[in-house]
Amino acid sequence: MSAGPYNYSYIFKYIIIGDMGVGKSCLLHQFTEKKFMSDCPHTIGVEFGTRIIEVAGQKIKLQIWDTAGQERFRAVTRSYYRGAAGALMVYDITRRSTYNHLSSWLTDTRNLTNPSTVIFLIGNKCDLEGQRDVTYEEAKQFADENGLMFVEASAKTGQNVEEAFLETARKIYQSIQDGRLDLNAAESGVQHKPSQPGRNTLSSDQQFNKDNCAC
Amino acid sequence: MPELSEKENVLSKRLNKLLETRVENDQDTLEALKELSTFYCDNSLQARRNLRSQIEKRSLEINENFLSEFREVKESFDSICDDITDMSKSLQDMTIRLQNAKKQTKHLLEQTSISTAFMNTFILRHEELVALHGNKQKRDLTITPEIFVVLDKVKKIHNDCKTLMQSGYQTLALDVMEQMTLHQEGALERLYHWTQNHCRNVDNLDLTNLLTQAMCRLQDRPVLFKYVIDEYCISRRAVLVGEFIDALTRGGPSGNPAPIEMRAHDPHVYVTDILVWLNKAIPVEKQNLHLLVSLCNKEDISELLTNALASICEGICHPLKIRIDKILNASTQSSSLYAITNLIRYYKKSMGKVSEGGLLALTLSDLQEKSEQIFLLALQQQVANALVRVETPPRDLSPTPAISHLLAVLRDMLSTASMSEGRETDMGKIVQCILDPLLRAVNEQSSRLPPTDMAVYMLNCLYAMHTCLSLYEFMDDKLERLQAHSDAQLDTLTSEQASSLVANLNLGPIYTILQDHSNAPLSGIPGMEPSNLRNFLGKLDVLVSSPDSMLLQQIHLLSSSKHKKSVQKRAFDVLLAIYKQLYEGVHYANNLYDNPESILPRTPNELVKMLSK
Repeated sequence: MSAGPYNYSYIFKYIIIGDMGVGKSCLLHQFTEKKFMSDCPHTIGVEFGTRIIEVAGQKIKLQIWDTAGQERFRAVTRSYYRGAAGALMVYDITRRSTYNHLSSWLTDTRNLTNPSTVIFLIGNKCDLEGQRDVTYEEAKQFADENGLMFVEASAKTGQNVEEAFLETARKIYQSIQDGRLDLNAAESGVQHKPSQPGRNTLSSDQQFNKDNCAC
Repeated sequence: MPELSEKENVLSKRLNKLLETRVENDQDTLEALKELSTFYCDNSLQARRNLRSQIEKRSLEINENFLSEFREVKESFDSICDDITDMSKSLQDMTIRLQNAKKQTKHLLEQTSISTAFMNTFILRHEELVALHGNKQKRDLTITPEIFVVLDKVKKIHNDCKTLMQSGYQTLALDVMEQMTLHQEGALERLYHWTQNHCRNVDNLDLTNLLTQAMCRLQDRPVLFKYVIDEYCISRRAVLVGEFIDALTRGGPSGNPAPIEMRAHDPHVYVTDILVWLNKAIPVEKQNLHLLVSLCNKEDISELLTNALASICEGICHPLKIRIDKILNASTQSSSLYAITNLIRYYKKSMGKVSEGGLLALTLSDLQEKSEQIFLLALQQQVANALVRVETPPRDLSPTPAISHLLAVLRDMLSTASMSEGRETDMGKIVQCILDPLLRAVNEQSSRLPPTDMAVYMLNCLYAMHTCLSLYEFMDDKLERLQAHSDAQLDTLTSEQASSLVANLNLGPIYTILQDHSNAPLSGIPGMEPSNLRNFLGKLDVLVSSPDSMLLQQIHLLSSSKHKKSVQKRAFDVLLAIYKQLYEGVHYANNLYDNPESILPRTPNELVKMLSK
């Protein structure tokens, strides 16, 4: 990040995950551009998007990683979990298989992110009510059991998209206020705005990953 | 006896005379006798005696007759005398009258000189009329400079008529005014036809003066003025097209300069030559147009002139478009297409300053837009072609040739773009065209590598991109994105390096025990015996003596030394955190270590210093 006026107080890092074709890129596009992308190509590796939002009067820049759903990019996308303050886990309400894989996505997320990462479950394509394959109640129950926030959204109509991103930000902001989130930890996924090039704000409680440690 | 003889002689002479008298020959006597016979009728004594008195009587009578006759004559003369006296009187009268008349004539003469002056002031002379309307007999259509003088006079007379009108000569003034109006209209009409015919030759020095004056006069008649300008535009448009085509196909006189199309094989030179030619020709047209109206009031006609120039330039649009289109469709080199785009932009702006609006501006805008599109398409195509095969990253994990090549292309493009018009949009588009596919390709390539290699390879590619972009302005968004990517990969790499360090130092089990241990003394837990710790310390000594020794070999392949240092430092930080925990643990009395200083001779701070050397 080169010089320039920083008109925001925090940077929050998000990651969007979920099976192929559930509409992760479309959700991001809808959120950043307020437009629906009708024939979105498969994401290669990770894509990146930003938007500045406001929570409790504070300007916050969201840096959002949109990951590829394809299995072959799993190795690439794993790198991007680590720094995420928010994880949007997406499934497609018209395809049960995408819902069934949620627990595996959730395990990955829990393993790769830090405990304070806010995980938000999004049931996308809720505009296709006629083709619904997963009921709201079922998904809601899954979310509650795992302590996730949940909403059904549509990247096509824009319904609840904004809400999902903003609600996640509010939750993260709340964590900062409560002191549950340590801003100094590189992997909190939150930075104060004057982020110097090359992270030099590392503190001694730097965590190395147990997952990697085992290998 | 001479007296006698003389007497005798006289007598004889008389006798002889008598004798020689031939009464019948004497006309008078004959007449007298004839007369006598009228009243002497009978030859009697009485008669003879009375003859004398009778004759005397007759003579008296005759005299009386004479008298009466002469009286009449006298009376006639008297009357004549009277008449003459009358005549004399009349003559005198006439003389008086004549003298009066003479006096009056003098006055008249004075009046006549006034009227001449009036004529001079208010009525045009013959030669002036000729100057105005030309010689009708000769059908003489040439305009001379006098026409303007006369037109001025006409105008002046027209104005003077107002004064005249105020002085009470309304009818006269109105008549004169009407006359002048007619003259003026006629002259302007003639001027209009002449100007219309000759306006195309405004740059001919002989005509310039007349034409500019004529245009100035015609400005009073907007319709005529506009017609002249229209005519001018039509003729100049044709001339300009002709000259343009000549410059393209024939070149200058005797082939110098060479025809522009001779160098059509080099798109850049070709387009430059074409645009340079136009860029030179259009100001000349503008100059001529302005010369034509140089004496006119410019305020009223600025829009008309702008439109006129645009109209003159209309003709060249079609040949220009055809040629540039052809070049754009034939070229495939994105760099030359970009150069052409910038040329069009530059000259569009340059010509836009001379001629606003119109078909030319529209054509150039179209061409600019088109060349931009074609350029971006070509660039996309070039990038797609370069990346069509997914290359395996080389063993040194540096960017693959295709990636390096495209970065070089990007650098070249940006260095050109950073100096072009509208560089911000351009650079944005170019970067987007190249960087997005590049990142995708790098992702694709990396996805086949093991995690550490992946992180290093990505960092190297990201570093190369970052280095390239950070030289230019307007790249903040892209740099932020690259930075965020790099951060993620640095995190991964740090994690890998830290894990590797922990593994190499046999710190794994110790760390696990430290995290999980309850209240039981540490020294009693298997794996935490001082001997075991010494094993770890021995390895730590090796690390301290040569900090690089335990770096993952891939770390050495990082092209950015800053990345390398950062990874190393952060990995050491992890190590130091564990060491600190261990140190505190060992020194904690409850953990029942004997002589903790001998087990862990270095304090964490000392270790920090040693490792950060």
